[in-house]
Amino acid sequence: MTQQQLNRRNFLNSLGITVGAAAATSVPAIAPAVAQVARSPKGNIPSTPLKFGHMTFLTGPAAVLGDPSLKGHILAAEEINAQGGILGKRKIETITADENAGTDANVKELRRMKLSEKIDMFTGVISSGNTPALGPVAEELGLLTIFVDGCTDFLWDKAVPNPKFTFRITNIQSADGVTCAVAAAQTWPTAKKIAHIHPDYSYGRNAFDHFMIAYKKMVPGAEVVSEGWPKLGTTDFTAHITKTISSNPDLIMSSVWGGDYVALYKQALRYGMFNNAKFASTIAFGVAPHAIGKDHPEGVIAGVHSNYYFTFPPGNRWPANKTFVEKYFKRWIEYPNFQSDGAYHTLHMYRTAVEKANGLVGGWPDEEAIISQLEGMYFETAAGYLYIRPDNHQGYKDAVTGFSKNVAEYPFQILDPGRMITIPIRNITAPPNWPKPGTSHNDPTSTYNWIKETWPQEVA
Amino acid sequence: MTIFIIQLLNSFFYAAVLFLIAAGLSLIYGVMRIVNLAHGSLYALGAYVSAWVVGGTVGHAASGTLGLAGLLLLLPVGAVAVAVVGAVIEPTLLRPLYRRPEEYHLLITFGLLMILEDAMKFLFGGTPLTAGSIMDHMGSIPIGRLLYPTYNLFVIAIGLIAALGLWWIIYRTKFGVILRATSQDRRMAAALGLNVSRVYVQAFAIGCFMAGLGGAVVVPAQAAVLGMGIEALILAFVVVVIGGLGSLEGALVGALIVGLVRTAGIQFFPEIELAVLYLIAMAVLLIRPTGLFGRA
Repeated sequence: MTQQQLNRRNFLNSLGITVGAAAATSVPAIAPAVAQVARSPKGNIPSTPLKFGHMTFLTGPAAVLGDPSLKGHILAAEEINAQGGILGKRKIETITADENAGTDANVKELRRMKLSEKIDMFTGVISSGNTPALGPVAEELGLLTIFVDGCTDFLWDKAVPNPKFTFRITNIQSADGVTCAVAAAQTWPTAKKIAHIHPDYSYGRNAFDHFMIAYKKMVPGAEVVSEGWPKLGTTDFTAHITKTISSNPDLIMSSVWGGDYVALYKQALRYGMFNNAKFASTIAFGVAPHAIGKDHPEGVIAGVHSNYYFTFPPGNRWPANKTFVEKYFKRWIEYPNFQSDGAYHTLHMYRTAVEKANGLVGGWPDEEAIISQLEGMYFETAAGYLYIRPDNHQGYKDAVTGFSKNVAEYPFQILDPGRMITIPIRNITAPPNWPKPGTSHNDPTSTYNWIKETWPQEVA
Repeated sequence: MTIFIIQLLNSFFYAAVLFLIAAGLSLIYGVMRIVNLAHGSLYALGAYVSAWVVGGTVGHAASGTLGLAGLLLLLPVGAVAVAVVGAVIEPTLLRPLYRRPEEYHLLITFGLLMILEDAMKFLFGGTPLTAGSIMDHMGSIPIGRLLYPTYNLFVIAIGLIAALGLWWIIYRTKFGVILRATSQDRRMAAALGLNVSRVYVQAFAIGCFMAGLGGAVVVPAQAAVLGMGIEALILAFVVVVIGGLGSLEGALVGALIVGLVRTAGIQFFPEIELAVLYLIAMAVLLIRPTGLFGRA
């Protein structure tokens, strides 16, 4: 056990966390890949348009995330088409589908888009309830797919354990709860009584599980003093807030998002919920940045789905972000969120893979050739470098979160540029080939089991 | 004890808003025998219009000259707007279908729901709209060592006044007698010389006004968000299933039961918070299929 009795500071140091404006990705900035001059394509390229299916929430409460996703997709498609299309020949045509139709209808729509619309590529999808249903169908149809979100660990743990055609670009869901736990344990190491408010579906459950397993390792004696499981789409949180306050927590942890979160913090302010307890969220600032008012409490951990916030990495250190934010703002008169980043770079990543495959095989590369280039790809995005792990086709980039702050430059509250927290993703997620749930263990995810088995237990 | 009082007030607040929505739904069904699936979306429309007016430039101007009073005067704009929309919908979309079977009513109001949801997203965008300035003006009052927002008490009062007002209109005025007569036998009412078409427009507009008022009063406390209408519609149905569709008393008692049970669920059984409401509705359906105050 002596080896296990690391103190928290040593352990946190070993995670490679960086705090502050200086933090950027661990790799020095090089010229953006998108800015590199494209080589002229090899072989004969057909000029038929490429058909993309983009499924996202066009209606319903989650449209607040669907909108930025579609906007990111359209922006990238317009840029590529303005240069003549992919490999200079094939322009992108997008057909959209409303994810709000429900999982069964979405599966039918995916089949319809492939079989009767003959789409070449499928992207989008926000909900963790939908990717595990759509993934196996995309595999069955042999349809090249890059999911923008729907980031549940379950997709690669259980639903599609050996993906061939399906990929996903945003960080895996377990990273969200773990990032939040690491940030909270580092900032408020004495907070032991934890109250939770989470939406009652897979995302909220996942955030709860991974926050607690990681937090308990770092803060011995941490316990759950209150739980609230509002339905997704709830806007009345008064009873949850009163219950939370009545449990006298040191720290309140939440994964409520979107319009629900705006309603939650507005009500919590008037009940004084932020007065006597610290607050940490996985995704408070993940919705469009302008949705958060200046009345939001400052100095709380306001997560961004551990993926991306538009002010980070700062433009002078990471030109790719500056360029992306400027282009996005010019097109849509608003700032991008992590869905915009994901959807936008999905197209550019695909284009890069096609160009590389073309350089190898000439002509228009087939799916196999494109997949071989996507696997293991190291790709520059606005958020930093993204790595597509070949074993599970999951995109990994350094996890990011931060603290809320009002600044004069923006009419809404932002993440404090001087206190951004980044954590190398490999330090908070299970490595390749770690046993999946249902094999040697029955924990919720591989990462949950990996943390349970390998992280040192801090002793009081 | 403090927690108990505040949770009780939370339940009343929730019940007040639910009552406004469910009473309108019940009134429309009681008079016109139409199950209005677009009712929740009309509630959302009231919320969006009020948030847009109070939180926008008009609200800033009113707040500058009249302060809190100015903002409170602007708040019902959403309810009035929804009543006007109702007065247009009834003669144009619903009237041609009264003689058709119920399925047609469901289809047209469901279509209306979809159109309204899209129209709101188109008009107001995907970002939540807020009108929090009213709550900031009113502040919070201390209860024990905790705080309770003063505005929430105001909403509870509005719920009570609306319940009394509706009861008075329906049971104590001539218009109420006409409403009830039309509700009981439309053809007889027409034969006795009542202008049934006008009664229908009025009843529908009042029902819509109630929904819009629910949206208007809820928006300073929460926010106008996409999908809030669907959520409200489902809850309003739970209320009228428990209370009895078409009954004003039923809407009031149903809203109180839903408010209290939901809060108790959140406080004591967080894991089954989602299920408790539907369990109650199921129990009522098994024991009294017409609801507590419903007519067979």
